[in-house]
Amino acid sequence: MSAFSGTVGLALKIAFLSIVNALGIWAAVVLIDHHKWRAVAVLAAATAGLDAIYLVKRWTLPLKFLIPGTIFLLAFHVVPVAYTVNVAFTNYSTGHILSKSEAIAGIKVNSLTEVENGKAYTIAPARDKGGHFLLVLRDDSGATFIGTKDGLRPIPRSDVTVSDGAITAARGYRVLKGTELGSLDKELSTFTVPLGGDKAIQPQGFDTAVVLAPTLRYDPKADGFVRLKDGVLFKDNNRGSFVAANGEELEPGWKTYVGTRNFSRIAHSSLIRDPFLKVFVWTLVFASLVVFISFALGLLLAITLNKPGLSFQRTYRALLVIPFAVPAFLSLLVWQGLLNDDFGVVNRLFHTSIPWLFDPNWARVSVILVSVWLVTLPLLLVAVAPLMIASFAFNFNNFGNIYLLTGGGPALGNSPVAGATDILISYTYKIAFAAGKGQDYGLASALAIIIFFVVATISAVSFTRTKALENLA
Amino acid sequence: MKVGRRLAILLAVVLAASLTLIGGRATPAAHASAKAAKLTIWVDNVQKPAVDKIASAWGTRRGVDVNVTFHAFGSIRDDLKTVKTENAPDVIVAAHDWTGDLAANGLVAPLFPTKAIKKQFPAYALNAFSYGGKLYGAPYALENVGLVVNTRLVKVPTTFAQFEKEALAFKHKSADNIALAVPQGSGGDAYHMYPFFSGLGGFVFGSGKNGALNPNKIGVANKTFLKNAPLIDKWNREGLINSKVDYGTGKNAWLKQKAAFWITGPWETDALKASGIPFRIIQLPKIKFRSVPFLGVQGMMVTKFAAAHGVASLAKDLVANEMMKPSFQLDLEQANLRYPANIVAGKRVSDPVLKQFGKAGIGGVPMPNIPQMGSVWAELGGAWVKATKGPGATPARVAFATAARNIAAKIAGG
Amino acid sequence: MSTSERVAEVTVPAVAERRQPKRRRFAQNWWRHAVALIALVFALFPVAYVLSAAFNGDNSLSGSSLIPRHVTFDNFRTLFVGQKNTTGHATFQNAHYASWFANSMIVAGATALLTVLLGALAAYAFSRFRFRGRRLGMLTLLLIHMFPQLLAVLAIYLIVLNVGDIFHFIGLNTLSALVLVYLGGAMGVNTWLMKGFFDTIPSELDESARVDGATPAQVFWGVVLPLAAPVLAVIALISFVATLNEFVIASVVLETQHKFTLPVGLWQYIDQKYSEHWGPFAAGVLIAAVPAALLFAFLQRYIVQGLTQGAVKG
Repeated sequence: MSAFSGTVGLALKIAFLSIVNALGIWAAVVLIDHHKWRAVAVLAAATAGLDAIYLVKRWTLPLKFLIPGTIFLLAFHVVPVAYTVNVAFTNYSTGHILSKSEAIAGIKVNSLTEVENGKAYTIAPARDKGGHFLLVLRDDSGATFIGTKDGLRPIPRSDVTVSDGAITAARGYRVLKGTELGSLDKELSTFTVPLGGDKAIQPQGFDTAVVLAPTLRYDPKADGFVRLKDGVLFKDNNRGSFVAANGEELEPGWKTYVGTRNFSRIAHSSLIRDPFLKVFVWTLVFASLVVFISFALGLLLAITLNKPGLSFQRTYRALLVIPFAVPAFLSLLVWQGLLNDDFGVVNRLFHTSIPWLFDPNWARVSVILVSVWLVTLPLLLVAVAPLMIASFAFNFNNFGNIYLLTGGGPALGNSPVAGATDILISYTYKIAFAAGKGQDYGLASALAIIIFFVVATISAVSFTRTKALENLA
Repeated sequence: MKVGRRLAILLAVVLAASLTLIGGRATPAAHASAKAAKLTIWVDNVQKPAVDKIASAWGTRRGVDVNVTFHAFGSIRDDLKTVKTENAPDVIVAAHDWTGDLAANGLVAPLFPTKAIKKQFPAYALNAFSYGGKLYGAPYALENVGLVVNTRLVKVPTTFAQFEKEALAFKHKSADNIALAVPQGSGGDAYHMYPFFSGLGGFVFGSGKNGALNPNKIGVANKTFLKNAPLIDKWNREGLINSKVDYGTGKNAWLKQKAAFWITGPWETDALKASGIPFRIIQLPKIKFRSVPFLGVQGMMVTKFAAAHGVASLAKDLVANEMMKPSFQLDLEQANLRYPANIVAGKRVSDPVLKQFGKAGIGGVPMPNIPQMGSVWAELGGAWVKATKGPGATPARVAFATAARNIAAKIAGG
Repeated sequence: MSTSERVAEVTVPAVAERRQPKRRRFAQNWWRHAVALIALVFALFPVAYVLSAAFNGDNSLSGSSLIPRHVTFDNFRTLFVGQKNTTGHATFQNAHYASWFANSMIVAGATALLTVLLGALAAYAFSRFRFRGRRLGMLTLLLIHMFPQLLAVLAIYLIVLNVGDIFHFIGLNTLSALVLVYLGGAMGVNTWLMKGFFDTIPSELDESARVDGATPAQVFWGVVLPLAAPVLAVIALISFVATLNEFVIASVVLETQHKFTLPVGLWQYIDQKYSEHWGPFAAGVLIAAVPAALLFAFLQRYIVQGLTQGAVKG
């Protein structure tokens, strides 16, 4: 205690606050440089808040101890949760990750198509005497042209020198070569030689050009694309896509808010609704059994090993900890190999032929067995109510174990997606990331929110049943 | 007052400290008016040396700074979706089955190589990188599985009946012999099983107009295939195929000569050479149809960011021109032990193992590159697992018809 | 989020050892040894396969035989010297294992220390002060970690990406950013565990110190922390090991070879389906397990000393 006498304590506190404030001011200056005004405001408020908490005497006392951890909790836990909640109300998914203007630009680029029987040209970027940028072109027949923003103009073949298939010189023009090309991109990549109608010659790199024409045109007034060949209009459907009357959709779409659509999809999709109860019950069974068995085993081991004077006691403990030091995903992969029913070591050792991973019920046993292994043996557990509940919640959402060991399988005959060992979170993953059109973050987020409410409710109820909260009185 | 004194000290210290910090702060990087253009390429470990070599030579010629950055192969596709324009790559290496996803997301730009260049590539390699009728990638390597035959133990079969006879005869020699080491395991492996699937008339997606795949035409349980499916039940009964063989088991069995046949790909080249076992690699003999494997094609793509960075022409020049040339393709072949996509380069391949894998892939089908393929893998693999798990297996017709129904439900409802 | 994933452990103390004749002790305790041995087999069985793969030349995991036919150190050499494929090209340009190891130690060490500190501060507040929102605060701490992490990784990536644009030293591909992210999980189950232990430290001790004129901060640093050494050791160990093995977030935040932590770096050996290099991977995992084992051996004294009080009361 003498180490923290009044003066030293005060000095430390002042040093700490000084560092915080100095960092705050410095960060504010950097943020101002970047014109991040909202961030500056948040930073200023946070710094002022911190100063207030640590300088005011009495009533902030608990906060002085709680604030440091809370800052990190907010930044890296609460913000991601808020982000997920936000995503749940969007259509963020494959085909919907750009902004609308980016999507429009993307559709325009994608709509450029090689004209049927269109020519390909060998080209060379060049400048005329006035320094104007243009292209020297040569088609497959050997005819040569000058291409400018105004169009294509034939020039005598003899004006153009070709060697090894490439245009190296053109009389009256300076052909650009070598390192000059590197700084030419801005001029070249937007340069097109119009051919009448929608067609235009567009350079592809520095040596070749093709004739391209758009198949769609954006109409800003109608806020939609018109298909040129048949006049079909693709209109903004307010869900992030341009869609024609017959349901045909242009790609890419864009990310936008879609209200509660993801939630109503969950309610209406038979893919999700039908197996939900079955998956939910199994999730409960899985999480409860893993927690119960591992705590029971942990307790048994603790009691067994806690005999005073037991020889090898330390050795046992030290050895039992080793699996804890091996990354869980590796252990899971090893287990998967060990449990193979024809070739796995477990069956060979016991001369059994149990279909550990192939039969729905045995697969459930395996998943529990391996999860218990992962939870119990690392260290010897003693039952603590909050820990049990946390462990329950963790296993409730234990995506890694299920995914790496059985992938949710084996399949159940009557459900398209849900497997025998699928828990809610692995099922969510399958629905949102391995079905439909690839990744659907919006749907996954909506499901995550629902799962959270389920597990939080169960946990809160079990809390009230334990003495954990009474100790908090 | 005490508090007043504390505040005074604090203020003084804060002022001093922040002045020091601000003084030492690096001035914000002046937005470089980038004289020399800079082109960023994301590549994985394996290809990096070859890409480094070709890109830096090209960059010197064009007057461009080329920045070849290592990026783990598995994360390139997803990182491209979140990366900021400032840090985004202009060119990436890609697997062909990302094409639909990336194009539907508007993240990659279409390419228009000349006919002369296109002629140097098999049509399926270019199709593999096409989506909605447009080409989005320059293929550089092909990979596929083949039937690896231990020639010390069995004769190289020329017909499927011969293969079946040899495999079963070998299996019956010893209790722990495996007829065919083709990996499945509890999760299934539709990729390695594809030669059997195609040989019985199965396909994943039919194609619509302009050759684009149609996710609503599912061929997993098409009539022809279902008619031939009882053969699967026969293979299951006689033990030709057993879904309990997983990758490690199959590999070990072949290497320990407990299996004479192994279905695997060029990623095992090192293991094959090191085994000391005399072997030949062939395409699985024709069942009812040619038993072609799935093809994986690797290639380079130009991202949408190249235009924003003002290097679109440069990126297209590098990808659709330079990198499609035989010389680059051969460099990559050396680096990653895959058969080059360029036909001219393919003829120059000298490695005997690669050559044989290349031949085993002839006529192969590129894995569908539309995003809906995500709904297929587990189901198709699962149907094989159920139909070939030995006693108690589901009849193949039922297993595959169920899979087809599930795939349709997933594609519609996801 | 790192430490809460591995459920905490608490051992019951070995109080005083009573001297008994060895034979009689064994006769009494044979069933204890039997239980312990069964547990050991169950626990170490899969680990044995990792060990076997590390010394085996054929790059397979859970292969057919537990005892490798050709014992080799090639896998370890690969980690530090590199490896070549048949055409003579290095499959990894350099062997980076040493820097992965160093990075992991830095990140896990810093995270463990700061986690203990932040968690203990909060636990002290919850244990010693009575304030509005205390119950709710503790409950929230537990519940908030129950939110499925499926998309959190994406959010964390975006946070680090945006912050790093302005403050490069805590941006993507920095170890400091990784530590900061891990500290988001510093308050959680740990806090409950520590609070439970703090509750068992008689508050008379605080009060007498307060009477002597000590401030709450001085009580915390001078009285409570030293007495709480066992629980601090447990939390430090759990946090250290969990951080050491954390893969998902690290793989998203770190981008280059010389910044990778052990799991991210080693993952590269097995990330290509069908061409996994299990040998070097297993060898790398084995070496990586050494610091954790040493730390446990070192802390075991504290851990075994006396956690029962805190644990049982909860």
